[in-house]
Amino acid sequence: MSIMMPVPDQAILDRRSSIVAALRAIVPGEGVIDSAAEMQPYESDGLTAYRQPPMVVVLPDTTEQVSRVLRYCHDNGIKVVPRGAGTSLSGGALPLADGVLLGMGKFKRIRDIDYENRTVVTEPGVTNLAISQAVAHEGFYYAPDPSSQIACTIGGNIGENSGGVHCLKYGMTTNNVLGCEIVLISGEILRVGSKAPEQAGYDLMGIITGSEGLLGVVTEVTVRILKKPETARALMIGFPQVEASGECVARVIGAGIIPGGMEIMDKPAIHAAEAFVHAGYPLDVEALLIVELDGPAVEVDELILRVEKIARDCGATTLQISNSEQERLLFWAGRKAAFPAVGRISPDYLCMDGTIPRGKLPQALARIRELSEKYGLGVANVFHAGDGNLHPLILYDANKPGEMDKAEAFGADILRACVEFGGVLTGEHGVGVEKRDLMPEMFSDIDLAQQMRLKCAFDPQGLLNPGKVFPTLHRCAELGRVHVHGGKLAFPDLPRF
Amino acid sequence: MDILKIRDAKDVEQAVQAAIAAEQPLEIVGHGTKRAVGQPTATNAVLDLSALNGVTSYEPNELILTVEAGAPMADIKSLIDSKNQEFDFEPMDTSALLGTASLSGTIGGTIAAGLAGPRRIKSGGARDHLLGVAAVSGFGESFKAGGRVVKNVTGYDLCKLIAGSWGTLAVMTEVTLKVMPKAEHEVTLVLHGLDDVAANRAMSAALGSSFDVSGAAHLPQSAFRGAIGALASLGSQGSVTLLRLEGIGASVTHRANSLTAALASFGKADRCEDTASQAVWVAIRDVTPFAASGPLGAWPVWRIVCPPASGGAFGRELARETGGDVIYDWGGGLIWAALPPSADAHAGHLRAKLAAIEGHATLIRGSDPLRRAIDVFHPHSDGVAALNRRVKSSFDPRDILNRGRMTLVPPI
Ligand SMILES: Cc1cc2nc3c(=O)[nH]c(=O)nc-3n(C[C@H](O)[C@H](O)[C@H](O)COP(=O)(O)OP(=O)(O)OC[C@H]3O[C@@H](n4cnc5c(N)ncnc54)[C@H](O)[C@@H]3O)c2cc1C
Ligand SMILES: Cc1cc2nc3c(=O)[nH]c(=O)nc-3n(C[C@H](O)[C@H](O)[C@H](O)COP(=O)(O)OP(=O)(O)OC[C@H]3O[C@@H](n4cnc5c(N)ncnc54)[C@H](O)[C@@H]3O)c2cc1C
Repeated sequence: MSIMMPVPDQAILDRRSSIVAALRAIVPGEGVIDSAAEMQPYESDGLTAYRQPPMVVVLPDTTEQVSRVLRYCHDNGIKVVPRGAGTSLSGGALPLADGVLLGMGKFKRIRDIDYENRTVVTEPGVTNLAISQAVAHEGFYYAPDPSSQIACTIGGNIGENSGGVHCLKYGMTTNNVLGCEIVLISGEILRVGSKAPEQAGYDLMGIITGSEGLLGVVTEVTVRILKKPETARALMIGFPQVEASGECVARVIGAGIIPGGMEIMDKPAIHAAEAFVHAGYPLDVEALLIVELDGPAVEVDELILRVEKIARDCGATTLQISNSEQERLLFWAGRKAAFPAVGRISPDYLCMDGTIPRGKLPQALARIRELSEKYGLGVANVFHAGDGNLHPLILYDANKPGEMDKAEAFGADILRACVEFGGVLTGEHGVGVEKRDLMPEMFSDIDLAQQMRLKCAFDPQGLLNPGKVFPTLHRCAELGRVHVHGGKLAFPDLPRF
Repeated sequence: MDILKIRDAKDVEQAVQAAIAAEQPLEIVGHGTKRAVGQPTATNAVLDLSALNGVTSYEPNELILTVEAGAPMADIKSLIDSKNQEFDFEPMDTSALLGTASLSGTIGGTIAAGLAGPRRIKSGGARDHLLGVAAVSGFGESFKAGGRVVKNVTGYDLCKLIAGSWGTLAVMTEVTLKVMPKAEHEVTLVLHGLDDVAANRAMSAALGSSFDVSGAAHLPQSAFRGAIGALASLGSQGSVTLLRLEGIGASVTHRANSLTAALASFGKADRCEDTASQAVWVAIRDVTPFAASGPLGAWPVWRIVCPPASGGAFGRELARETGGDVIYDWGGGLIWAALPPSADAHAGHLRAKLAAIEGHATLIRGSDPLRRAIDVFHPHSDGVAALNRRVKSSFDPRDILNRGRMTLVPPI
């Protein structure tokens, strides 16, 4: 493990048995797990290279219990790591040796479905897909669709502000949640937002979404749901160079078309996916672009013609259009299974998640190829091309000495390149521990200080998920100090009127 | 009154640092068109950002625009208009409602006020379109947040907080926004004679359909008292309920036909298209029935946001109880209410009623004495109010920026 986590507090570890007993008094029965064997499943999240058994696992099933657990931890200076399904790819739910792992898996009830207001109120442990399934019989769905949607929870989606292939048109989690109940580390229970389309005052929901479990524990969520489009069809387009596929994406967007989804896979990814799901992908192309258009049939038909023309102008060599729902799903099957497919061709892989301005796609790909040669590690690329979000999958073998470090260095170089091209370190997977130490590539000390000050407004002792997101921890008192510059001279040399 | 005219972003930092040293709160102003919104601020030093008006970069193919915060809305709109693009959140022009000069207002003021228009139900608000920001905090420090790409979860999403914070957290110096291609075609279906509750049901049905409705508004007959501008042509038969469809030609026609059929039980829908339709939605966006120059110009105006399906019944009762007028947008989720003048502009009554439906209300137009007497912004529960104070302090611990703008009792 090359990333340092906060040094465990021996005084806390020494009190472990009394802490476990106190937690048992709050969450009875099987809700507190302290045996090494039973805690093992919680040792890591989707970033499996990092493992750490927690001090104790607590699985509350009421808001009241969450509140009491947090208040107890707050009063006793004990760290807490919230966890949903543990599919985070950035180590957001990685436990701490001296911390409570607070699993929200028992919050599994959908509390209210309201078609008139087009909202669902749900507990945070409900999976992303289960929300869509609960409203599917009325033709509704919840739009953000991470590939992990069978497993990941809506609470974790809020933690990471997750996206999916459809967020190009329908937005990320933050654009689709209206309110929540959140418990602060003090144990205080707050309600933010409601079924109303907009919150009053500061947009707290906007700041809670994507906060990676550092601000509070979400115990209820209100999401908005949409009616399914009348139809959806996909084009599967092959290009002899990756650059041409990038150009095609830029021209589609430039033509004012916002597809439901627009994804690129490069040759290694195409081959891995085809071998895994047999979707009928062309194997002799360098890039495969999948474009999905949704809406009424007349609109989809018209836009398919427009996209087809653009694709041909960009030099597409193969082009298939789905003619049935079955065929559309088949086009997607390979893309949706790209991660596990790559998992089959390499003992281990690291999934990166930088975003670049769409127009920089060719340069970014060229850079990734250079780096791949430099490090001597293979890479398969899948992208949410419509919004410039890259997922290079770096192939390595953790059993070969030094390869994991090499893979991490390669990944860090890719993310630095993303920032250099005007982009960002993470588009949807979050900073977690994985990108934590790269934050200074994108943000100055002052930028980071401002973010940490906000954290202080929610959690002044820094007990919630420490060691994530921020490369260095500062005390809130220090961050809150105002530096008074230049005596009491009021407004030197500014023009006045 | 001290007006400090900023020349560049560095000046902002210097001015805020000097204000901290002098313990002198600052009022942050773009063009000052919305100075009459919010609690009157307790200061005589004004930071004027209107000279920070450059366009940093505009990349139509990336759908991204970066501009300095004092850039005039009028200039920006014509710039993106030249590439057939627009802001999808359809920000309102408050000049008719507030009786300020038209053709003014800055992008910083627009984002800080966060007043999104009819398309919010489909495309979100200012907060959903602000991708990145450079700003100066109340620590007198320049910081940035977000980025210049549409998809970004690196660090806390401070842009969300700053949008709609009315200049109380940080002074924006530069903003990066998402822009969108304009629709090729638009059609508005017009249903006549529905009462507020029936109209609410019609709007809910339309918004719960797959026809991608991008505007859903209802104007009771009373809204036509002034018979102002573009709306005059709609009102001849009493109340109107309006449903907007935008997109490519064939699609809009198809959806208009399908929606007309689906809503047949609410009556026969008329249509208006393209420029006529656009003019109607501008009037709704800008709340022209309650224009400062109109018959209700002297009445206080509330902006009420509530769960959409509760809007019709709530608004009808409010109008009956107070003798006021209401119009509905966002399928019932936004109610503009002009209420007859009273000591508290009916704030107590209104907010007590809103508690039952989890809605909230902001006074957008009201006299100075009124705004000194009542909470202009909706009061929060104790816990959320305390958290908001801590959030404010985390950006502006000395309460230098727009002191008292959003809270009746100064927090510190
Ligand atoms: C195969 C695979 C494919 C994936 N595809 C995508 C994709 O397409 N798009 C995408 O965006 N992501 C994707 N992910 C990443 C991951 O699934 C998402 O980040 C997901 O939202 C995590 O949800 P979770 O329930 O597993 O949360 P966890 O991993 O358990 O937690 C994630 C973060 O949220 C916090 N958290 C969890 N629950 C709560 C709560 N109730 N209150 C407060 N904080 C909480 C945790 O502390 C942690 O920081 C993928 C992952 C895998 C393994
Ligand atoms: C042709 C035309 C069309 C228009 N169309 C629209 C439109 O579609 N949408 C729209 O919103 N407006 C539009 N407007 C302008 C609109 O009516 C408002 O006047 C304008 O948005 C407010 O800007 P302002 O600079 O006057 O705000 P001000 O009244 O100066 O400020 C409003 C609030 O924002 C704060 N603030 C201002 N600047 C900053 C900053 N840099 N950092 C932090 N806080 C700040 C202030 O403190 C105050 O709380 C249009 C104007 C014209 C001329």
